[in-house]
Formats: sequence, structure tokens, C-alpha cells
Amino acid sequence: MNTVIRRLTGHLARGIAMIWVVTTISFVIIRNIPGDPVRGQYEKLIEQGMGPDQAERATAALYGFLPTGSLWDQYTGYLNGLIHGDLGQSLSTPGTGVATLIGSAAKWTVLPVLGGTLLSFLLGVTLGVYAAIKRSGKLGDALAISGSLLHGVPQYVIGLLVTAIFTTLWPILPAGGPVDISFEPGFNAAYIVSLVQHATLPVLTYALASYGGWILAMKSSVATVLGDDFILAAELRGLKRSVLFRYIARNAILPLFTILALSLGMLFGGAIFIETIFNYPGLGLLLVNSIGARDYALMGGTFLVITVAIVVANIAADLLYAVIDPRVRTGGAA
Amino acid sequence: MRRLAAITVTALIATVTACGGVGGSADSGVYTTIDGAKQIDATAPINPFNPQGNTFLGYDAMTLAWPKNDPVDPNRFYPGIAASWTVTPDQGEVVIHLQPKARWSDGKPVTSEDVRTSIGLAYTQGGTAYAVDPKAAGSAADVRVVDARTVKVTQGASKSNLFLRNVLSTVVVPAHVFGHLLPADFWTTLKAARGTGPAAEKAKAQITGLAEKVISFAPAKDVSAGPFTLERVNPGEALLVRNKHFYANQNIAPDRVKVLNYTGNQQIWNYLISGSLDSAPFTAVPTGVLKRIRETEGNEVVKGFSPVAVSLAFGQTRKPYDNVHVRRALAYLIDRSQVTKVASPEAGTPAKTTTGIHAKSAQAWLGNGIGELDQYQVDPAKAAKELEAAGMTRKGGKWAMPDGTPWKVEIHVPASFSDWVAAAKAITSQLNDHGIDATVLTAADYTLYLDELAAGKYDVGFWLMALGPSPYNIYQRIYGSANGWQLLAGQLTHVPPGTQGNWMGGPEIIDGINPGALTSRLNAANPDEQRRIVGTLAKLTNQQLPVIQLYDYVNTQFVSTSRYTGWPPADSDVLRLPAGVWMQLGMIKEKAGS
Repeated sequence: MNTVIRRLTGHLARGIAMIWVVTTISFVIIRNIPGDPVRGQYEKLIEQGMGPDQAERATAALYGFLPTGSLWDQYTGYLNGLIHGDLGQSLSTPGTGVATLIGSAAKWTVLPVLGGTLLSFLLGVTLGVYAAIKRSGKLGDALAISGSLLHGVPQYVIGLLVTAIFTTLWPILPAGGPVDISFEPGFNAAYIVSLVQHATLPVLTYALASYGGWILAMKSSVATVLGDDFILAAELRGLKRSVLFRYIARNAILPLFTILALSLGMLFGGAIFIETIFNYPGLGLLLVNSIGARDYALMGGTFLVITVAIVVANIAADLLYAVIDPRVRTGGAA
Repeated sequence: MRRLAAITVTALIATVTACGGVGGSADSGVYTTIDGAKQIDATAPINPFNPQGNTFLGYDAMTLAWPKNDPVDPNRFYPGIAASWTVTPDQGEVVIHLQPKARWSDGKPVTSEDVRTSIGLAYTQGGTAYAVDPKAAGSAADVRVVDARTVKVTQGASKSNLFLRNVLSTVVVPAHVFGHLLPADFWTTLKAARGTGPAAEKAKAQITGLAEKVISFAPAKDVSAGPFTLERVNPGEALLVRNKHFYANQNIAPDRVKVLNYTGNQQIWNYLISGSLDSAPFTAVPTGVLKRIRETEGNEVVKGFSPVAVSLAFGQTRKPYDNVHVRRALAYLIDRSQVTKVASPEAGTPAKTTTGIHAKSAQAWLGNGIGELDQYQVDPAKAAKELEAAGMTRKGGKWAMPDGTPWKVEIHVPASFSDWVAAAKAITSQLNDHGIDATVLTAADYTLYLDELAAGKYDVGFWLMALGPSPYNIYQRIYGSANGWQLLAGQLTHVPPGTQGNWMGGPEIIDGINPGALTSRLNAANPDEQRRIVGTLAKLTNQQLPVIQLYDYVNTQFVSTSRYTGWPPADSDVLRLPAGVWMQLGMIKEKAGS
């Protein structure tokens, strides 16, 4: 028990240090990105047909939302805010707290990215085992080729392809947005069906885009395990196929487990292309828009959330790895 | 096996259920559109003073009146919350008569006090008719409630002929919802702020200090005077329902309006191709996509006047662009028709010449005077003469600087503006064909582009211009702050190139003419004087070429006749207004049998 607490304490200390370092570096970088957000907003309004005077009036008050003081003052103020749980005020949505914006976007990121990650992981891992076991057969070849092909196709291409198929050629799914506004939000069938309809294409795109990586990694891992002595010993001892399969899968999945944990951490980075294509208002889109608008507080807040998620996922992966692999827990003595 | 079959059947039912009923936009009584002015942010307040606010002009948010898309006269309006208005010839006094039947969505009447409160709130945001500084041109000096439905707004001493336009553009909000944002002594403080001395400065600070509070205010629900009120919003869509108290309810056909969010033009194209939208704002569309949009049953394209043009602008302190002969040479080498064909075939018309004004406005302002200007038709021989006059030399088929060093034309554009990038590439191709080494350099985004442009880092860059209909607004883009002229508290100054955003760096006086001063004068001049000034500035711009006008934008809108009819015709003066205003004017009707 003491060992676990000691490990956890060490991880937390390193994690907090990492978060502070990344926060500091990203703060300095963000504050030094060239571009005047108010001028950008002014010209955007001009581009939309607003007269110069009107646009000036519409943007003048935004100056009040820009950070003031020296870089050091801004930094200490930012850290002080963070300690008190205050991520600051957004410039692109003036008057709205960054935490509110991130919270709103996070729920729309979790659904497609988590759904897509888990779906692709389950599919990829299961089929990866078959692809390895049947690697000299046609099924194994077909699975491996499908993995290689999909692994090589960028997310946005898959996204555009499924959009064209399911919204134009065979229009059975909505082209964009997270849910149909016509339905009363809540736990009712119409709303849930609408949520599922709208999430289907983003989840499918994410799953297709990630599936190739999982199947190839799993196939390679299983192929390695198949050559291990303990598998040969198990076969010679005449163990049942189901037991043998469990031996193989449990050992082969170990390296993938770390990747899965990190993928879940990366989940909070959103899926920029997918969110853009499907107008799915998640964290990736929020980050891109905040960069375009030079919304310093929102950029900082989003980077912070991503950093924390990855650090936490790392710690979780490390601790859970010890649970599922006794060799790690006992320092390789098992 | 039985379990597997059950799972399969359940999955199939779920899929069929999930896939059924797509296309809610086709629901009877629902009007589906896109607000091109902003992306929807579900966390933003229902507040028209917030740039991201969840209010939709013309649908729920109302102004006193709606500007007509007139190529010349900026003071022509359709009634909004104001049923009518009178204005003195010098625009010194505007008297507004409110719609007698206007009511807020909670049933309370719209009164003069609401207008006065809205003006008070507008003062906290500063600028135009509601600048706190009394020296600012066109600022209101007094707002008086004449009776429950009549308000009088008086212009200060520094007059502007845009005063009426700016007053009538005021967004009106309910005093019983927004009024508490103004302190009880607000109007006394405003009066003090319009004076001089430390007390005035303190009062000014108090008023502008309210800006953030006003922007951040989040009412619990939408109380509007427009034909609709916001029912709910999610990050992808907003739903507005009919306001039964709207003063012209008989004109409104849809029961609900769905405003879809968009993150890129591609989504608008998809929505149009799938027939989901009843109308869509102007969107850049490649020819192939336009063809597919047109193929969808009911989709139609309506084109009209858009007072915006795009130009190639010069950093006139940077060599060799400080020499007018070089700028003219480039004008003689750029084939504007070809550039427009490549960059904006559907939403652009090649500029007839460089005047600083959109061709349609130029016709109205200049008449036959346009024919007297240099048309800058493609003429390599003239271009060569101009380059020689600038001292440029030709070596091995390539033009070089007067000192013999290579001349490299670098054209800057923001990477995200696809038509500008295409236009820049077409221009470089044309220049290379004529022995001028030219390349396109892109900035990562528009914000960075503007920053580097303002810092004077570019020799040549793309620039929006001709932003009418006000002639002051038009020429302010060429002879305004980007070229060194700054109007602060009614005082016009010219700052040196490279400072305070003066990146164009043109001379303050050209042939005895101060174009910035003339532009500023356009603000206060009467129509005859305006015409003379516009003539002078058009000629000067044509000769000096601080910019080369490339193409004029065409307002290209999409409508669908599948569910609604009565769309504005091509070139209608309502085309630049939101569809909610079309409905207010009784234009959109539900199609029989839809």
C-alpha cells in the first residue's frame, strides 16, 4: 500500500511540475503570437459589409477585455487565477468565462472522440488478433490491407467521403451540428435519437481513421507473442484454445493499453478536422477559433485542459499498467 | 446464437430509428437559414451589445430602421421599430415616430424610454452617433423623449451627413430588461462628459467603464420586439419562435426559424446541396459546387449589388512602389478579367478601372466622367514605358531595379481567403509572363496578415475597398488611417508612414490636393459638394494608384423555392438585409401545399 501511495505521490508531483512548465511555456508563446485581436475583429466585420464607423463601434469595447500590464504581471495574475480556479474571460465571447466555454465544448468532444476511440480500439484489437493468427490466410491479408489503407488516409478525407455518401448521395444522416434544435433537450426519445443521428458520422469517421493503427499494432504485437516460449509450452501442455487465446491477447494488448490511455488523454485535444467538417462544436474547434481570434485566455485555458488530461492519462496508464502486468508491479520478478 | 440475433435486430432497429426523420428543416412552418455574420456560441448571452451574442438581427433583434442597399445614398431606409422619421436638411435634428403597435415579446409596449435607454447603452460602447466626445463628428448632443412614441435626437456642433443613418441603425432593447445597467445619474454624467476639464474626463471614464458590464449582461430570456424570439440555442443551431406581439405579424409566414451554425463554406454548400436551407448568405462558391447547388430542386441564385471591391494595395514608402510609374506599369500588365475569372467567377465582376468605388456606385457618382479616366487596359508596351520612366532596367528578359539589382514582386495574402490566393497566383503568373519576377506569400491567418500589413512589412498586399454606400466610408479605406489620416475628436491629423498603422505611406499632399482632408470633408458635405469631392478623389486615385482595383464583389445569395416563395428579385435593395427583414416587409410566403 505504501508503495502505491509513494508512486502516486511521485507521479502527482511530477505531473504538477509538468503542468506548470507547459502552462508557463504556452503562456509566453501565446502572448507573443503576432496579431491584434481587435483589428482582426474589426476587419471581419468590414468584410461582412459593416461600415467602418459601425465596425469601430462594435469592436472598441473589446479593448477592455484585453490583458494589460507587463508580461510578468499578466503571468502572475494568470497563475493566481488558476490557483483560484479562474481561467479568465474570453475575448471572442466577451463576458463569458473560459471555463464555461471549455465545459460547453468538452461534452461535444467526448461523445465523438471517446465513442470513436473505443469503437476503433475494440474493432482494431479484436480483428488484429485474427489478422495475426490467420496471417497466412486470405482473411488475415484482407484485414491487414484494410488496416494499412485506412491508416494511410487522413481524417479529413474520410470525413469528406462519409459526408458525401451519407448526406448527399444517400441522405440518411444530418450534414452537421450536434443535435436538432427542434427537440426539447432532455431524456426523451426524440432528443436522444437526434443526438445519435448527429454523432454517427463523426464517430464513424474517427473510428475509421483510427482503426488502421489499432489493427496493425495488435497484429504485430500478437505475432510477437505467438513466437514466445510460453505459448509453445502452453500448446505442448495441450491447453484449450480459449485459454491459449486469453494468454495471447492479455500479453499482446499490454503495449496497446498505454497507447489507449494516452489516446483518451488526447481526447481533450478534440478532433479538429472532424469537428470542422461536421460542425461539431468540440474542444478542437474551440482551440482553432481561439487561435484565429487571438483569444489569449481561451487559448491558454484550452492548452491547460489538454495538458492536464494528458498528464492525468499518463499517470493513470502507469498505475493501471502495474495492475494488469505483474512484472511491472514486482520489478520484473514475476 | 439467439443472443447474437437479438443484438443484431436491436442494432438494426436503432439504426433505422436513428436514420429516420432526417431533414427536420423540411418541417412545415420552419424556416431554415444561416447567419453569415457570426458563428453560434451557445454560451454567449442573449444580448445584442455582445459581438457574439445570441440575438439575430431582423429576426428577434430590431433596429429603428433597415438600410436600403442604395449604391449612392446611405440615408435611405425601410421602417423598423421606427414607423417614420423626419430630419432637418443639415441632419441637425432627427425626430423618430415609433410603430404604434410595437410590443415586446412579453407584451409590454415599445416606448420612447426604450429607445432612450438603448441610446444610453450605445454610448457606453462609443463611436458613431453616440461618441461621448462632443468634438467627434456626427455625435448626438441630446436625446429627448417627446411623448411615449416619439423621440428627438439632436446632433452636436460637429456635423456629419451620416447622422441619420447612424441614429436609425440603433438596436432597440427593452428598458425593463436592460435599463438597470445604466446608473440612475447616467444622463447627468453624460452631460458632464460632453464638457471639458477634469470633471468631464472623469465622467467619460465612468461611461466607457460601463462597456464591459453592458457587453457581459446575460438576460434570463429573450425579450424582443422582432417577429421572432429565441426559444433555445445549442452550439450547432438556434431556434426562434414566432413573437405573437410583433407589430406586423400578418406579414410573417414561418412559425419558427432555425439558424444553423457553420464553421466553413463547405458546410453551407452541403446544406444547400441537400436542400436543407430556405436561404443562405453570400458564400464564395466554386463553379462546380454552384452547379451542384443549382441542380437541387428549388434552389435559386439571386444576385445583387454589394458595395465591396478587392484591390492590390502598395506600401508606397517601399521601393520601387514609391514610384507611381511602377504602380501604373503593374496596372497595365494585370488582366483583371482573367484574374476575376480565376478567383471569383460567380461573385465578382472585373473592375472597369481604378476609381476607389464599386462600378455601380461609380456610374452613379461619376456618370460619363468614368470614360475620361485611364482604363488601364492590358498594354505591355505602355507598361514598359512606365517602367523605363521609373528607371527600371531590363536584363535578360527580366526587369530589374534602377540600380541593377533584381526586382522581386512579393504579393501577400491571407491563406484562408481562397479567392484572394487564386487572384494573387493569377497576377504573379501574368507578371512573370511579362518579365517581372513575382511570387505569392501567404500569411497563416487574417489576424496575422492584418498585423503584418499594419506594421508595414508588405510591399504589395490585398485590401478590401469601396465599402459604400457612404462616400466617406468608401474613400476612408484608401485615404484613412491605413494611409496616415486619423480623425480624433473631430481633428484630422496625418501621421508619418510606418507609424500608428500607416502602412500605405502615401504622401499627405499630392498635386496640391490633400485626399485625406477631402475624404474627411465627405462626412459633412452636401450632395453637390460630395459629388465634386468624389470626382476629384476618383481622378486622383486613378492617376496615383495607391491601389489597383481588381474586381467588384457581387452579392450572391441562395434561396429555395421548395417551401417558400416571394423572394426578393435580383438587384433588390433589400438583398443585403437579413431574411427576417424580408419577412417583416411581407416578402416571404409559405408555398401552397408545402
